[in-house]
Amino acid sequence: MAFKFKKQIFGFMDLLRFKKLVPNRRAAFDAASSAPLPKTYKVNETAKILHPGNQKARLAEITLVTADTKTYTFELSKKMFFRAGQYVELTADVDGSTVNRPYAISSSPLTSLREGKLSVTVKKAGFFSNWLFDNAKVGDEMIIGDPSGFFHYEGIKDAEVVVGIAGGSGITPFYSMAQAIAEGSEDFRLILLYGAKTEKDIAFKKELDALVSDNFKVVYVLSDEKNKKYENGFITKELIAKYAPEDFTVMACGPQAMYAFLDKELAAMGIGGRRVKKEANCVGVRDVKKAVYDLTVHIRDDVYTVKADNRETVLVAMERAGLRVPSKCRAGGCGFCHSKLVSGKFSIAGADKRRLADLKFGYIHPCCSYPDSDMEIIVPAGLE
Amino acid sequence: MKKYDAVVIGAGNGGLVAAIRLLQGGAKTLLVEKHNIPGGFATSFRRGRFEFEASLHELNDFGTPDNAGDVRVLFDQLGVTDKIEWLQIPEAYRVISREEKIDATLPFGKQAFIDKMESYVPGSRKSMEKFFELAEEIRAAQAYSNSVNGQTDQKVMLSEYANFVRCGSYSVNEVLDALKMPKRAKDILNAYWCYLGAHCDDLSFLHYSSMVIRYITKGAAMPKSRSHEISLAMVERIRELGGDVWFNTEAVKIRTGADGGVEGVVLKNGDEIQTRHVIANCSPHIVYGRMMDKVDERIVKETNARKFAGRGFTMFLGLNKSADELGITNHNYFLYDTMDTVKQYDLMKTIESNSVQATVCLNRAYPECSPAGTSMMYFTTLYMSDDWANVKPEDYFKVKDYVANKMIERFEQDTGCKIRDSIEEISVATPMTYARYCGHPEGGIYGYESQYWDGLMPRLLMMAEDHKTRGLRFAGGFSMRLSGYSSAYFSGDITGRQTVGDIKREG
Repeated sequence: MAFKFKKQIFGFMDLLRFKKLVPNRRAAFDAASSAPLPKTYKVNETAKILHPGNQKARLAEITLVTADTKTYTFELSKKMFFRAGQYVELTADVDGSTVNRPYAISSSPLTSLREGKLSVTVKKAGFFSNWLFDNAKVGDEMIIGDPSGFFHYEGIKDAEVVVGIAGGSGITPFYSMAQAIAEGSEDFRLILLYGAKTEKDIAFKKELDALVSDNFKVVYVLSDEKNKKYENGFITKELIAKYAPEDFTVMACGPQAMYAFLDKELAAMGIGGRRVKKEANCVGVRDVKKAVYDLTVHIRDDVYTVKADNRETVLVAMERAGLRVPSKCRAGGCGFCHSKLVSGKFSIAGADKRRLADLKFGYIHPCCSYPDSDMEIIVPAGLE
Repeated sequence: MKKYDAVVIGAGNGGLVAAIRLLQGGAKTLLVEKHNIPGGFATSFRRGRFEFEASLHELNDFGTPDNAGDVRVLFDQLGVTDKIEWLQIPEAYRVISREEKIDATLPFGKQAFIDKMESYVPGSRKSMEKFFELAEEIRAAQAYSNSVNGQTDQKVMLSEYANFVRCGSYSVNEVLDALKMPKRAKDILNAYWCYLGAHCDDLSFLHYSSMVIRYITKGAAMPKSRSHEISLAMVERIRELGGDVWFNTEAVKIRTGADGGVEGVVLKNGDEIQTRHVIANCSPHIVYGRMMDKVDERIVKETNARKFAGRGFTMFLGLNKSADELGITNHNYFLYDTMDTVKQYDLMKTIESNSVQATVCLNRAYPECSPAGTSMMYFTTLYMSDDWANVKPEDYFKVKDYVANKMIERFEQDTGCKIRDSIEEISVATPMTYARYCGHPEGGIYGYESQYWDGLMPRLLMMAEDHKTRGLRFAGGFSMRLSGYSSAYFSGDITGRQTVGDIKREG
């Protein structure tokens, strides 16, 4: 030993001190309180308001917005606070099977926090939305999930002004934002370019007009109707330039066709990257020749074999078979349906949004994967 | 009813390793995880064209095949090393402290480290050499202790590892002062303190020096595909060994029998799993406070005695310029107000007064971690009190932005690198995020604080005494090895092997 460590005058005192470590700790335990341990903590309780998880909600009001669109207002069983622009997953029992879809929230954040109410505005456009439109009634109990998604203002990186571009039912998140700006839960300027087919397709016209202020402006753009009260045609670069200031962030929500058009317009304006945000759309069916495969699904210690139509996603196949499996964004991005592929081939709709290690170890997102052969997967348990 | 030899609750770093150890010991094992993916904080997430590392700054004590650290040896034994692609971190750290006007960048390698320190603090060499000598002996003593499963022979300790025992009861500052280390060298050497989350008057020298020596002599490593790669590799291994892993499966109760020992685990859906052995990869506060019906008063007292360590806050930035373009030269920055760790610790108690950050630019270790022409950074701080409890839900998003803005400003001021206008993606995790994700009380990410009386050494010495409930052991950041990746992995190793022994003895 090259040197001998010594702290106190007599080295044995250092050794004695070491021997006291255990008695010291016992003494600290002896001196502690025997009061019952806390059941929860303030930060954890606030976290539950921001992320309440799945909760029961009672349908309290249904309002017809346009001929094919209704607003469904729920009474929440748990308080909730979110960023305007986020979506929730809505789950209901439809003819004996559990069905869920993500819908943008159309009410304001403080309405959920203070009044315990939350609204989604849904256009009749598919299996679940048709069912809602025709069958949902006041008093029905459904399940509402966590507020999710990143389609909201981000003060640290976004410009002070947002040019919102809404196409059809893509108005919903912007309506929430306009209310949030008015109530003070969001702090930015929104110039909304809202594209609808005809005047009667404009949702929330009265409400939006009433919200106009220094921080919120709305411009209606009709594509299928010439009307002098409004802008006409598509939302072009000229139209954007007409209303936008020098520096702005674009937030767009609408159908895929609108994005395709908008991408070209923005590219021509030299706007992209960090200044553009688009809300993702749910993955739909693919146009291929029909084939039906066997899909073997492991959930905990249960094994199911179900039929999978290759035109629909693996997630839809499991849902059609009545399996309770996790889903949230239905666009491949949130990773909530993250499942282990044991065997089989698949194709991904759109861009691959999985993590790198998921590719390496063979994990898939069933919500955006179409089966190309028989498949076997291990899936986390769904709603319970 | 389903029956297992052992159930592991929580697929965090400790739980994953524990499950592998149980399976290697022949136990029929079920790992339940309330989240849909494994790893706890050891995970990653995608935003746009970036995949962010959620928590790992660098994996300590991993080393290379020909200079293996203890974590690599453990991973070899677990059978996971080769399932993961590894990178080496280029340098130890850069520490910038305002009060002392320190801006020092330290390399890996003992000699290089001592030489560099001498260049910053002339006259520090002798005390640094002594520091490393002591640290070496501490490491050797720990290896001896591990080799005899903690049943150390006092005679061997006193004859072979006397310095370990002599300095074993002192804090970092007490020992460094005894070594007559110049103040500035002490300040630079203490930069890693925030990785352990206790100030250097409290923090055990054994603990700190054994961490530093591992960093400096073994270097640090990083999995290429973020820590999600390690977590998935472990799940892969568990399944290879015949273990069951259930995600989205929350354990809500541990049921005990007449002897007070474990009889089963109740899941959120009401199902019960029969087992006599549970390894809990979560805090005793949660287990004893919520998951068990009858808890002995002594256990309540012991749990109440513990102090929660730092609550986490992390900002993740995806930047649309390369690290070169932004002038970011280092992988790992520590930015402090002062190197007086007691004073700094106090400043870290409130949202308003805390400006400390440990910041990583992953591209400096792995240039291809993000697309060409971009870079990725993450900025972490700890709160040494429960100040986030004072944040009302309606103010939450504003407070989050306030802290994030402060972090950006601080980084720009202290390093001169301008990053704000290049932010393409941003994500921020607060104590609320951590509370939600892993359920830890107050959003803590560091387990129980390494206070003087509750440091590494007394915890290890009292491991047998702390085990009070038949069939229940703990792994992860709240257990005997304290927090941090390496520590959590080791805790799973120890607890997993102990439980294999319990099963053989008790059935």
